[in-house]
Amino acid sequence: MDSDAGLGSTADDYESLLSTTDAELWKSAWRNEKAAPEILKYDVDLIQRSRQQIQLMEEMADEFNKNGVDPLTVSLYQMDLDRTMFLMRSYLRTRLQKIEKYVFHIQKTAEQWNRLSRQEQKFAKRYATDLEHHLDQSVLSKLPDQYRSHLRQSAASEEDDMVPEPKLDTYVICKSKKYLGSFQLDDG
Amino acid sequence: MYGRKASELVKEFASCEPGQLSTFNNDLFTQVLEECDGHLLHLQPLMRKIQDHENELKDCRRSEDDIGSSEDESRKSEAEKLVIQNALKSNQFGALVHHLSLVRNKRCLMAYIHNRAEVIRNLGWMVERVLPEEIQEKLSSSEEEYFKNHVATLQSYTSEVDLQLNVDMVPPKDPFVKVRVLDDIGQIMLSDQVANLARHAIMFLRRTDAEQYITQGQMEELTS
Repeated sequence: MDSDAGLGSTADDYESLLSTTDAELWKSAWRNEKAAPEILKYDVDLIQRSRQQIQLMEEMADEFNKNGVDPLTVSLYQMDLDRTMFLMRSYLRTRLQKIEKYVFHIQKTAEQWNRLSRQEQKFAKRYATDLEHHLDQSVLSKLPDQYRSHLRQSAASEEDDMVPEPKLDTYVICKSKKYLGSFQLDDG
Repeated sequence: MYGRKASELVKEFASCEPGQLSTFNNDLFTQVLEECDGHLLHLQPLMRKIQDHENELKDCRRSEDDIGSSEDESRKSEAEKLVIQNALKSNQFGALVHHLSLVRNKRCLMAYIHNRAEVIRNLGWMVERVLPEEIQEKLSSSEEEYFKNHVATLQSYTSEVDLQLNVDMVPPKDPFVKVRVLDDIGQIMLSDQVANLARHAIMFLRRTDAEQYITQGQMEELTS
């Protein structure tokens, strides 16, 4: 530890060290995904690393169980495992729900399509086909020719006006990471 | 009144409790579709008449340019043009009304189907593969097919990601929970043991195992 640095900077060092742990990364990724109205970038490295760590933890927990280690320790490790699994599952679930809501919009915009993982892209394609097929079968095939698109209201519309888009101007709650000073918001 | 039946359909959906489905109202649905067909029957001849009127107007203007006309003739052609323009406008308004009602009916129908599909999807998160009887009666055949396809899509994603996604719906407080079994399930293979789930038995299970039965209502969690 630096002996010259004052107490303030060691606290900063500790904070910055803490913020790079996987747990913190998971928490912030999960919070961001839950709060944002649109889908955010998929963090491939984090998920891969976490899977490996979870496997290690599970093996360790099994070993502890077999060796009859103090059950309190075992249950603590189990809790840690459970909580990480919850974060991962909830993160993936939230993303799936956002894909389900806005699938046609995501398919149209290349930038949003690239934010999905490979498996999510496969899911989105199949899901869109399912939904289109269902809509076609129940409603669209029975309507007159020019009104059969599921993206446009009629052939006379100039753009795809039946595609729901995420509302990017809803209010969100933010927490600042460090002191930013005062700045001007849009409405004063 | 155009569009009234379609708005009834939408109101019926909105008046159900959120998350519950009412029986698929096939009658009202087919009535709205018939109304759409009616609109189309009105719309097509109107569009033809509009096209005819526009052609006539073009002819009038062309004949005006060609023939250097005297005052009388120009007044007559003005009057003719006015008549044609009025007929054109009334046909255009009629066509617009039919087009807009058709679009509104389409939106109402699609909203009905779309929102029911959303409720069905949420059910897919709670149930594994087969819907209970009472819910299955309320779906139309296309909706049942959609449910099966959706469950298959979810399962293919789950197996690719290799993670069970329908456990842990609530943040975990304890790794183990105390549950009381409500229905007779019999012998079940859980993650690390075989358990005999008899009715009214109070068991101490892993949360991930018990959660599926709790959501289906076959077990209840004892929180005291």
